[in-house]
Amino acid sequence: MENFCLNIAGYRLRFEGAPGGPLLFPAQRFSKSILTDDGYDYLIRVNEGECVMPAGSERVFNAPLVEERDGEALIKSHEFWSIHKEGDMIYIKTIFPHNPGMNSGILSLSRNSKEWNLEISSSVTGADPLAWPLDGLLLYYLTVFNGDIMIHASGVDYNGKGFIFSGVSGKGKTTMARLWEEAGAEVIHDDRLIIRRRAGDIFFYNTPVYDDDEPRSAKPAGIFLLEHGRQNMIVPLEGSRAVSNVMANCIQHNWSSEIISGLMDSLSEVCGKIPVARLYFRPAGEIVEFILGNAKIRQTH
Amino acid sequence: MVTLNQIPVQSASVVTRKTGDEYILVPVAGNIADMDSIYTLNGTGAFIWEQIDGKTDLEEIIKRLTDEYQTDRKTAEDDVKGFIEAMIKAGMVTV
Repeated sequence: MENFCLNIAGYRLRFEGAPGGPLLFPAQRFSKSILTDDGYDYLIRVNEGECVMPAGSERVFNAPLVEERDGEALIKSHEFWSIHKEGDMIYIKTIFPHNPGMNSGILSLSRNSKEWNLEISSSVTGADPLAWPLDGLLLYYLTVFNGDIMIHASGVDYNGKGFIFSGVSGKGKTTMARLWEEAGAEVIHDDRLIIRRRAGDIFFYNTPVYDDDEPRSAKPAGIFLLEHGRQNMIVPLEGSRAVSNVMANCIQHNWSSEIISGLMDSLSEVCGKIPVARLYFRPAGEIVEFILGNAKIRQTH
Repeated sequence: MVTLNQIPVQSASVVTRKTGDEYILVPVAGNIADMDSIYTLNGTGAFIWEQIDGKTDLEEIIKRLTDEYQTDRKTAEDDVKGFIEAMIKAGMVTV
């Protein structure tokens, strides 16, 4: 496949191989997100190169390569991906630990342009332009530029009513999604969501993570921050408590005050319109009825 | 330990947002491993934060807190010193 266009979180992202550049092969998890028309919101041109960072760019943020073993996080390498900046340009440099032959890549992007460039250093003929971790990094800056929110959360749609269940690893996101699926809900996703404000409404979307993921979305009626509990209990959160607690579960690269302020603005609006609560829960099917019976969580205190 | 004649200054590397009477403080970070802190200030914490303007020393902040909350001098001094020291440790304030 040379060029293709994906629908992710309502964005049309078109990937084009530059003349003489690599053949593009999106991973299986994107197969149900491929669009057939030529229109796009963002164009990403992909070419081969040596992946040398432009002189004058400054490294502003980085992450080590971490592997979990027996519940412990071990740093495998201090050089995994990094963010560099020069003027209004942002450069994302990364290696691709899961893609043998793809050595490194630099995605060049700007808030002021809908056309971005991806350079890949590769020793194989085909390239996945959204190989991990570039997929999440590209989507993160897409959300930053558009005032969206990327959050560690599962989400479900139950008869047109959406619920977001947010928490870090181990808090019960996947368990909650499974319990709702067993009750007849559609699972939007069980791990990561993008929340967008569009035409006065708020929606949440999945992003392709698993091989069978297809584009899904719903309108949220409540945001629940998950905690394990001996009994089911809802504790409403409002104002700065709501914003800061939801923010703690958001994906963030807080190297710039502009990025932090933008996320605060988005969260202030979303948390002002959608009820937020801490949810202590026992992992059993009764939690579905409990939440549906207390869906107007602002009225319970 | 801070002293009463010191003048605290809010760090330029912190983004603040006021919602109602409360503040959210988020530090700018250069590494994903450093991003584990989002602070919420309410009540006396929010009041003390507002007094940190780079010109006012601790003695004056304590006096203002005593007046605002009708509290005794010792309680106000403990509150202000404890708050400033915690903020210095978190990188939100310098003196």
